[in-house]
Amino acid sequence: MNIRPARVDDLTGMQACNLQNLPENYTMKYYMYHLLTWPQLSYVAEDNKGRIVGYILAKMEEDVDDSEEQHGHVTSISVLRSYRRLGLAKKLMVQSQEAMATAYRAAYVSLHVRKSNRAALGLYRDTLGFTVKDIEKKYYADGEDAYAMRLSLKHLTR
Amino acid sequence: MPPTPPNRALSSKEATLFREVLNLYETRQLKKGLKTADLILKKCPQHGETLCMKGLILTHLGKREEGVELVKQGIRLDLTSHICWHVFGLIQKGEKKYDEALKSYTQALKYDKENLNILRDAAHLQTQLRMFDGLVETRHTLLRLRPTLRQNWIGLAVAYHLNGNLPEACNVLELYQKTLKNVPDYDVEHSEVLLYHVHLQEKMGNYNEALTMLDICARSRAIIDRIAIMEFRARLMSKLYMPDAEHSWQALIEQNPECHQYYKGFLQNRGIDLDAMTEETRGLALQSLLDFSQQLNRATAPRRLALNLAQGDQFRNLADAYLRAGLEKGIPSLFADVKALYKDVQKQQVIEDLVETLRESLLPLQPSDSSNIEPTTYLWTLYFLAQHHSYLSRHKRALELLRTAMDHTPTLPELYIFQARVLKRCGDPIGAARSLDEARVLDLQDRFLNTKCAKYRMRAGHVDEAADILGLFTKANAVSPGADLEDMQSLLYLTEEAAAHLRKGNLGMALKKYTAIQKVFDEWDDDQFDFHGYSLRKFTINVYLDLITWEDHLRSHPDYISSAIAASQIYVRLHDDPSLATRGSSTTNMTDAEKKAKKKAKKAEKKSQEESKKVTATASASPNEDKGLELGPAKDDDPDGMKLLQVQDLLERAAKWLAPLGTLAKGNLNAWIVIYDVAVRRKKYLRAVKALNSAHALDADHPELHVRKAHFKLALSSAQEQPAELVGPVVTAALTNLLPDELSLELFNSQYLQRHSTDARAILASAKVSRLLNAPKDEVESAVFAALNPDVQLDIKASTAQNVLVFLNDIGSSRADEFRQACDGKFALSTVFKLPSETAGLRWSALPPDEPMSAGEADKAEVMS
Repeated sequence: MNIRPARVDDLTGMQACNLQNLPENYTMKYYMYHLLTWPQLSYVAEDNKGRIVGYILAKMEEDVDDSEEQHGHVTSISVLRSYRRLGLAKKLMVQSQEAMATAYRAAYVSLHVRKSNRAALGLYRDTLGFTVKDIEKKYYADGEDAYAMRLSLKHLTR
Repeated sequence: MPPTPPNRALSSKEATLFREVLNLYETRQLKKGLKTADLILKKCPQHGETLCMKGLILTHLGKREEGVELVKQGIRLDLTSHICWHVFGLIQKGEKKYDEALKSYTQALKYDKENLNILRDAAHLQTQLRMFDGLVETRHTLLRLRPTLRQNWIGLAVAYHLNGNLPEACNVLELYQKTLKNVPDYDVEHSEVLLYHVHLQEKMGNYNEALTMLDICARSRAIIDRIAIMEFRARLMSKLYMPDAEHSWQALIEQNPECHQYYKGFLQNRGIDLDAMTEETRGLALQSLLDFSQQLNRATAPRRLALNLAQGDQFRNLADAYLRAGLEKGIPSLFADVKALYKDVQKQQVIEDLVETLRESLLPLQPSDSSNIEPTTYLWTLYFLAQHHSYLSRHKRALELLRTAMDHTPTLPELYIFQARVLKRCGDPIGAARSLDEARVLDLQDRFLNTKCAKYRMRAGHVDEAADILGLFTKANAVSPGADLEDMQSLLYLTEEAAAHLRKGNLGMALKKYTAIQKVFDEWDDDQFDFHGYSLRKFTINVYLDLITWEDHLRSHPDYISSAIAASQIYVRLHDDPSLATRGSSTTNMTDAEKKAKKKAKKAEKKSQEESKKVTATASASPNEDKGLELGPAKDDDPDGMKLLQVQDLLERAAKWLAPLGTLAKGNLNAWIVIYDVAVRRKKYLRAVKALNSAHALDADHPELHVRKAHFKLALSSAQEQPAELVGPVVTAALTNLLPDELSLELFNSQYLQRHSTDARAILASAKVSRLLNAPKDEVESAVFAALNPDVQLDIKASTAQNVLVFLNDIGSSRADEFRQACDGKFALSTVFKLPSETAGLRWSALPPDEPMSAGEADKAEVMS
């Protein structure tokens, strides 16, 4: 699959992919907001017909006070079930992290994952090297807790 | 400043109060603002500006009707006040009436030429309306008034750019950079502006200037987006034929070895065009890709691209390695990935041979020397072959392979998903839905399976049961699963449900869902508005310009095009047969499921009403709450779409749907056909014949076009008494082009049938024309039955057989059932030609039919736990 930086005309494909895969969904404007604020950070995977089969939607954390370090945040990442086992999630994540570190000097990247989502937890922790930093009580609309996870990007900043 | 007109003048006390109103509004202290406005009005009830401000505040407080009335009254009392016009413009902008809003802003600017807020808003409206001449002028004024504001420079450059004047945009950027002092190091915003400047230079063809600028800025770290620097550099160097360009592409490939574009760029730089291979370049390209495969041993892109180029034994060797690696790893998308190679029949055969050989070597009962191979390799090999054979229409073989695989491993959802697809292709949507449900219950946490299952349920006609399933993942507090998906702008859900209703003949509900799709695109269109200001403040200009281009082509989205066509076809049907609008309303011929659905819809409606009551209750509890100026969600007063069926302007609505297609779907024949259908009924004959000409250029012998050619000739001859300007000589001449004048329609039709006697679609088209020519029914019937001849291609996948049956029913043929039974026999695996009584007992869910609901609830418990 072809992996490349996301463009504006990918947004509908990313939105459709998200709706098919994940219970956390957003209207189009939120996708636009990501890409038009941080055009470097989101990536897509597409098949040979140009259909979006996976994406990472990412941003920089905006409300960072002086004591905190600049850091990126993964708003959403997913790959269609039929395109798993190709390592796409990892490849997407790596590209986005690189951009966070070089364009914004992000010290680390954070994300949230549902406590019950064992598959995603495994991916982030075992494959991508994230660690659980905190548990956010009732983070999701349906009352479920989230793990707040982090991965340092210090090695990429140059 | 001109003297204040007497009707605007206030005594000093009231004048102070009025300034207070403005301040209170700015800080959104709405309740206080309202009280203060009332104080003024007590003394001066005819004060236009105060009336407008009061109206504006009321609108913010949710009292739109009253508020807008006051605003209009206020304007009438003070037609030369910029405040009054500004307020009116704000209200119109909130209602998304951009062109009217701009007119009000233009009025406002007449009386206050240098008001920055009004100028900025006007610029946003001009951008939204693509009025770029005016935009340049407005941006000029803004820059002249506030040259120290960085975004005003960028705003002017962007305005020139949008207006097509790139050199002037470039000049503005150069002047802007001269005004800058002390740009902080590592400034992302400045970096984006510089990248925009480089991009402009590139667009103007000044590659040298662009590259020099890029290099200087990259070295000084003024441009910090590393990937963008690398991409720009590689592209520019290639355009300049610089020998070093190859290194730049190489660096990009190392950075992201899965990006196909980078390999393309690398090869193009060596004079190799991947899309136009010669024998000489093929070998060179292949060698490069093989080198990359060696260097980057984890990358799949070069290996996959090599398969496109390799031939003969080399292809066999490379494909063998590629397929084996994929099957051993258990990559579900392997077939979808290599399917594109099947354009080449030899490659298709090689792949079949390789994988079949592999399957034989893995047969579990055979003592095989490859005992170190995982048993899952065998499973994925079966899965691959099933897809391969089904793709080549060998559905039986595919189903056998899947059965073997399921016996081997009963818990792999992919097998059931694909079985569903095969059954769907065979015309068995019921079995397909059941198979997908079996996949779903194997992994209840996966929304992908859930979504697909719901889609298949809808395809099988179980709309309500699809909603039950979707509800396992939609928001618990939503009025209904569908309402949540509509809020989330799910085109997949909306298009599938609309099509499901349409198949069941429920035109009202189908139109309702299509209308929701239209609304989604309107929202996406409106969404850009805020970015006209936002992007200038963020300086992300390159991506903003992409947004503008994308918005201009928004309705070329396949879901918009197919929905526009389907919705317009419904409007045409309603126009031709107005009785359809009332027929759908009777509940007598509803199935139980439909009655249940109706009951549910009522319940949902009640729930939403209660909820909106709650909202109003909380609103009155905090009277200061700002509801903004945008229109809230409209109340759904048409839960089953009946009102949509009874609108008077059917064809005008269709024309509105279709308007973007003339430019955005030029290559779509079905679009031109329906554009014709609507235009001819509106007696827009020139537009009609133009549509036919466009369709003719795409496929002169297309069956649907054949029917329309005859239809148009008949329509024109019956329109002879019409005023001449409707049927001008241009129209008549154009028709002669499509259909020679000397040829009778009967002969035209029979010649067409002779040319395409083995094409079922043509047989149907010719019968439709005979019908238009009032041929006897039995003659038409027997002509249609030719579709059953053994040498005729009749298929279910493209609904050809179903369409023939629909036609027979439409003309009230007594032989319709005979045709249905013949199809039922011909398509042995299908269920679409069975009677409802025959399909009622077929299982469409994974669980016994008597307890589908309790099963659904059990799912929910498991998902949540």
